Parts: sequence; C-alpha cells; structure tokens
Amino acid sequence: MFRVPLLVALSLVIAFGGGILFTRYALDASAGFGAIRLGAWEAFPALHTADADPYAKSHRARAGRLLFGTAEGLEFTASDDDARTRLSAACRYRISGQTPPARLWTLFPVAPDGKPLAAQEGRPTAINSWVVLRDSDSSFSITVSSDAAAGNWLALPPSGDFKLVLTLLDTPAAGSSGLIDLSMPKVEKIGCGHA
Amino acid sequence: MLKILFSIIVGVLGAAFLHLIIILSLPGFSNSDAFQRVEAIGEEDSFHVLDAGEDGGRLLNGDPYLRTAVCAFDLSDMPVHLMAKGQVPFWSLAIYDSASNEVFSMSDRTSVGGTLDVLVAAPVQLAAIRKALPAELAQSILVEMAEGQGYAVLRTMVPQPSFGDGARDFLSKAQCDAFDVGG
Repeated sequence: MFRVPLLVALSLVIAFGGGILFTRYALDASAGFGAIRLGAWEAFPALHTADADPYAKSHRARAGRLLFGTAEGLEFTASDDDARTRLSAACRYRISGQTPPARLWTLFPVAPDGKPLAAQEGRPTAINSWVVLRDSDSSFSITVSSDAAAGNWLALPPSGDFKLVLTLLDTPAAGSSGLIDLSMPKVEKIGCGHA
Repeated sequence: MLKILFSIIVGVLGAAFLHLIIILSLPGFSNSDAFQRVEAIGEEDSFHVLDAGEDGGRLLNGDPYLRTAVCAFDLSDMPVHLMAKGQVPFWSLAIYDSASNEVFSMSDRTSVGGTLDVLVAAPVQLAAIRKALPAELAQSILVEMAEGQGYAVLRTMVPQPSFGDGARDFLSKAQCDAFDVGG
C-alpha cells in the first residue's frame, strides 16, 4: 500500500537532495568553463564579463567578490605545483622564471577556500614585482616555505594546504589576444619536511 | 525491482533539471552578490574605502598590496562623474552593472596625465551631453551604460609601506558625484 508513495519519495529525495548537493559542489569546485591553464596557474579571463557562461555567472553571484576588469589585471591561482601535486605548507617550493608582460604583479598564498591565511607577524606573507630580487636576465626565484630561506622568501604557516594567487596588473594578458605564448613562472617542489 | 530503478532514474533526471534551474536562476535570486554587498557598504554616489575588516573583507580577495574604494550609483536620475587624482604608482578603475558584468575598465596608463575623469551616463543622457559638452567635461572620458544601477571600483597599489599615505589620500579624495547636466 505504501509502494507508490515510497517510490515517489525516493525520486524526490534523489532529485532535490542530489540536485542541490551536486549544484553546490559544482559551484564550489570551479568558476565556470572559461578557464585558461598555463602550467600550474589557472585564470578566468571572462569571469567578470557578460560573456561568462551560466556556471561562471552563478559562481560570481554566489562568491560575491570584486573581480578585476579587463584593463585592470588578471588573477592567476595555483592549487597544485607543476607536477600536479597539491600545494602543502609541509613542503618547500620554488617559483622561478618570468611573468607575462605586466606593469606590476603581486603574489601571496591563501587558504584552499580562498580566504586569507592566519596572520603571521613579522614574516613576509606577500611579495610584489617592485621588491622581488631578480637575476641579470630579469628572472626571479622565490622560495615558498614555512622555514626561512635566503633571497626571496614567501612565508607559510607550519601546516595545511594552500593556494598561490598571482595577480598581474595592467597586462595585455587579460585581453584574449595576449593569451598565446604566455609563459608563467614554474612552481616546483624542492623538498618536504625540514630536510 | 524495476520500479525502484525507474524511480531512481526519474530522481536523477529531476536532479539534473533542478541543477539547471538553480544555475540559471541563482544570479537573479542571490542576495549576497557583489553589487548588493557594495550597496550595503554605504550610501550611493560616494567612494567608500574598503578595509580588510568584516564588510570590506568579504568583497576583496586579500591582496595586501591593493587598496580599494567602491561607489554604488544609479543612472536613472543623473549621470555620475568619477574623479580622482594623486601621486600613486598605479591605479585602475572598473565599472560594473548591477549584475556585476563589466561595463568599462581602465588604468592610469590610458588616462590623461594620470588623473581619473570619467562620466558614466545612460544613452539618452549621453546624447544630450554630447550635443552641448559642458566645459568641465572637456577632458572627461564618456562611458555609455544601459540605464540602471551599477558600481565603480577604484584600486591603487601600495608596493611598499611608504606609499600607504599617498594611496589613502588618493582614495579618500576620489569623487563619485551625480552630475547635474543643467548646472
């Protein structure tokens, strides 16, 4: 006697529960289909425009953040290193090479959900293109680790996963014509633990 | 058994349908998207400098080198005139509509002498202004935007702490005023 209502209830639970959970997962996992990937770095050049796909517009409305305009800059995020291993504060990384042409850039780590990391007094938790030390060919090498390092050093908390945010300001890379042949810095792991 | 399978399939189809509906309608129903957060910061027609504290922090992405100011405006009555000047290494402006689509953006590289001077107007207002350009708009960039509400974001960079005062000065003196065409 309860067969039919039970089956209907099963359908409804799968439809609503599954639909809502899957939607939340899809919106949190990525910001739409318009991503460009250069090595370990990912960016969404069209996320702030009217040309964004519906997923991107939903993600944008839900996150409610101020995005960079096309003439302002482009924000790249790396959650894995070049070998596709998740970035972890227990390991040390080297970011080296050159950025695409940009007037200024900033680099800082964030928590995996995008929120700022816990404040670390007296430690360099961000770096930008004016203060970075460069080699004679304009390339730079930044050590990202929780232990201090000589040269350019970006400090991490003692443990936990993190993402790196590299924001290029006033760059032709933000317009679609500059996307080909862009070279982003390498992100390589140089060791784990305190070895 | 078959009936259970059938109801599961119907459930999955329903989930897919619901997923599509949520994705397409979420921007219209969201009450914490960027435009509404900007409106909640302060009154319209003036630049509010965001700090990394509670209300400003949720809008920003945590970049420690950028200082941001936002201004919500409504073009239904009058155009809005954005002005700012100061000694900063870099500034950039972006204008968004109420759905957070970009309408216009620029940086100090494309400005006249490093000064920000932009007039945002609806097409009808812009046509009237262009017919008789007032003297104070002689060097302004005229931006056309479909009528309605929107917000402007003004950013400047503080590469080292000594630039902080100049940036604070630049943002706090920035103007986002309704422009009276008759006056």
